[in-house]
Amino acid sequence: MANQRVLPQSKETLLQNYNKRLKDDIRSIMDNFTEIIKTAKIEDETQVSRPTQAEQDHYEMHVRAANIVRAGESLMKLVSDLKQFLILNDFPSVNDAISQQNQQLRALQDECDKKLTSLRDEIAVDLYELEEEYYSSSYGQWNSTDLPLCEAYRRRDSWASPDGSSSSTQDDREDSDGTPSQEANAQHHVNGHGTASTEKP
Amino acid sequence: ADTYSTRNESFRLRLLEEVEKEIAVVLQCAGNIVLELSKDKHNASLLDRQLVQFQTSINRVESELSAQIRYLTQVATGQPHEGSTYSTRKDCQMSLNRAEYAKVKLGELGRTCEAMLEQQQI
Repeated sequence: MANQRVLPQSKETLLQNYNKRLKDDIRSIMDNFTEIIKTAKIEDETQVSRPTQAEQDHYEMHVRAANIVRAGESLMKLVSDLKQFLILNDFPSVNDAISQQNQQLRALQDECDKKLTSLRDEIAVDLYELEEEYYSSSYGQWNSTDLPLCEAYRRRDSWASPDGSSSSTQDDREDSDGTPSQEANAQHHVNGHGTASTEKP
Repeated sequence: ADTYSTRNESFRLRLLEEVEKEIAVVLQCAGNIVLELSKDKHNASLLDRQLVQFQTSINRVESELSAQIRYLTQVATGQPHEGSTYSTRKDCQMSLNRAEYAKVKLGELGRTCEAMLEQQQI
């Protein structure tokens, strides 16, 4: 990637700030640790008495140790900020994650629909028979505009064959005294209730 | 930064988690060295080992974090990401709803058939 990209000011400032924090914290750890080791050295000649010098060294070591811990804590905070920045702004990874998720969801959807389609194919025959049974019983009432599946298939077959012309289907639809249909399963509304008897061969 | 661009996000996040562990190692080594120095008799080999570990860890922390910041300088834009998985998620949800609906209807059909059979047996 070329270094000529111009980042928005806030993002560039933020990243420069991260760099600065990193450098400062690493330098703080190194310097304070080096100074602690130097202070641990016993010197023969001191400007003040030995106990005073010891007390001073003791306090200095405490402060430097606290500085090291503070710098470590600051580094942990920096890592946390970097993680957050990465999640929000690393577009290649976000794009990859989105496309992967889309792929998984589409695969799940395709599998679900495929299973539903195969289920439909399996039970289509049973449903056909159930419908035939239902609409030939006294419970099933239908009008000419709302054909059950079995009747629709039967009519389509009769239209397709030369014997079963459309006139016979029209006879089926109208009230006829004794015109039997091929299977004689036509139901007609009688007084609006399902009291018509079926004619079966 | 080239190695970073070919990896995915989880790899970079795992790297950052390892950096966190390295920071803890740095502080632990520093503490162990001071502890060893405070004893009357120092174990020189332990001191050497801890010092080497300290230097390795701190160098690794610095190099990893610098590399991450360099990578972010290259890929970050000022814009928010506007991609989403909403549409595919919705389609998938609708597909699962279809399956659930088919299951409910088949359940009703099954119960109806069983009820009719029981009636006939009675």
